[in-house]
Amino acid sequence: MRVLVVEDEADLADAVARGLRREGYAVDVAYDGDEALDKAAVNAYDLVCLDLNLPGIDGIEVVRRIRANGDAEPPRVLMLTARDRTADRVIGLDEGADDYLVKPFDFDELKARVRALLRRDAGRSGALLQVGDIELDSARHEARRVGQPLALTPKEFALLHYFMSRAGQVLSQEDLLEHVWDEHADPFTNTVRVTVMTLRRKLADAGEGQPIETVVGRGYRLREEP
Amino acid sequence: MNTLERLWDRLPEWTRSIRFRYTLLYSAVLFGLAAVVLAAIYLILLMALRATPVSSGRGTFCMHGDCITVITFREAERLVNSEILGKLRYYSLGALGVLFVSSLGVGWVVAGRVLAPVGRITSVARDIQATDMSRRIQLPGPEDELKQLADTFDAMLARLDAAFDAQRQFVADASHELRNPLAIIRTNVDVALADPDASPDDLRQAIAVVKRAGDRMTLLVDDLLALARRQEPTLEHEPVDLGAAVAEASDDFMVPAETRDIVLDRAIAPGVVVTGDREALKRVVANLLDNAVRLAPAGSRIRLATGSEGNRAWIAVADEGPGISPDDQAHVFDRFWRADKARARADGGTGLGLAIVRQIVEGHGGEVRLHSKVGVGSSFVVWLPITRPAIDGGQR
Repeated sequence: MRVLVVEDEADLADAVARGLRREGYAVDVAYDGDEALDKAAVNAYDLVCLDLNLPGIDGIEVVRRIRANGDAEPPRVLMLTARDRTADRVIGLDEGADDYLVKPFDFDELKARVRALLRRDAGRSGALLQVGDIELDSARHEARRVGQPLALTPKEFALLHYFMSRAGQVLSQEDLLEHVWDEHADPFTNTVRVTVMTLRRKLADAGEGQPIETVVGRGYRLREEP
Repeated sequence: MNTLERLWDRLPEWTRSIRFRYTLLYSAVLFGLAAVVLAAIYLILLMALRATPVSSGRGTFCMHGDCITVITFREAERLVNSEILGKLRYYSLGALGVLFVSSLGVGWVVAGRVLAPVGRITSVARDIQATDMSRRIQLPGPEDELKQLADTFDAMLARLDAAFDAQRQFVADASHELRNPLAIIRTNVDVALADPDASPDDLRQAIAVVKRAGDRMTLLVDDLLALARRQEPTLEHEPVDLGAAVAEASDDFMVPAETRDIVLDRAIAPGVVVTGDREALKRVVANLLDNAVRLAPAGSRIRLATGSEGNRAWIAVADEGPGISPDDQAHVFDRFWRADKARARADGGTGLGLAIVRQIVEGHGGEVRLHSKVGVGSSFVVWLPITRPAIDGGQR
């Protein structure tokens, strides 16, 4: 899952990005509204963590423009605000933010809200995802196949999470690069292919058959039924 | 006295109203005047007409068996006069009685009409007190005394409302400014603690970030407290050698200016003495210099000068910094206002420096002016009165 953190306090933005990256998200950072809009125009984010009070274009305007882009799958917006007055939150939610968090926040709560917002994408209601004989608990950061724990790196975990939230869909290498890797990933390396390969090997070691199949010329698909 | 008060307390509620008293007064005055006029007329008539009732006949004249009482013509006149005066007394007393009753009624109605707007003002004011301050009385009608009262009341409400709004805004701004460094501290600590593989370098970096945020909060809390304290009438009243205070305050900026390759020129006139708070005035100079040193480009010159003109002393700080656009000039003294939010915050400005300057200067009965041109530089000039009236105990 790809996340954009928009926050003008560099010390806060960097800490949030560091914490979310450790959770396996692909995180980009923007330090003002213009930069945020530029990045949102180029990359397909699943979630934007947005400070309301930004220099230049403020957070409300950023939400409005992201919503006005008319993307088929617009990113979820979690707004962070230092203003605790109801009126400020109402404006933010009315303009299209999906959730809010008042600063200073507990980082565990931020992670939980990010997970909850991304679950809404997958149309599921819990932190637990299940596809066939694979289970994934995004809160505990655990994945199992046939009850057997999988030892996955954060990137492999994020990749499996993305496959499971779009089970049955064909996902191209570009899709995976956009949603699982951040802007620092080099699109000309075979990092996606290598990570998919190691994930497939770990899945195959844990159970019968290969759930991730290759669709020639188009990409990969996680089979819904084993 | 006590029995009188108790008696007063025992009267029904409506007898304690202005309307009741006004009615009594009106009625009493009207009744009294009428009584005096009627009594005067009566007395004048009494004196002008000699009237005595005829008690007995003077004589009797009989003719053909019929007898009539015989009186003189003068006696007859007196008799008629006495009759008329008797009637006059009778009707006058009757008229006074009717007048008394009707004056009570008329007085009650007139007083009610006159006092109706007061009742309206009271009930609306009571409503406003209980509900929201944004409402106004807006008394309709001609521009009379009561309308003026209501308008004065409205103006007072508007000022109160604005003051409350400003206060609310200040609290919201202050909490916003404090929450950001708090969020930095909390998030950095959370993220560092949650990482079991954090290296000493990672931790050192997290601590450095926390320290930075802590320093920022310290500055901010200092400035907030300075603002809050200056709102109270706590400024000292002592003779201050302005030149010495300014020189002392600016000494602290010689080194920072030098490290930024900025020349700090001082032209301080000796012997200017103002009445006020020495520490507060030093803070004015320090805040102005702090802005100048932070924002002026390297290699530029900052000029600090003091002097006096007539019965006013001045302090001027001029820099060759970026300047302030005419649109922004109206806001520079606002709390938490920053020309460039992100940059000023990173440079360590709290956004309160100039607000504090203005508050202290106005507390001394002076004013601060800004002259600025984009690309040329800014100069701040503080004017202070040299003599302050000794009886002025509090602050403005």
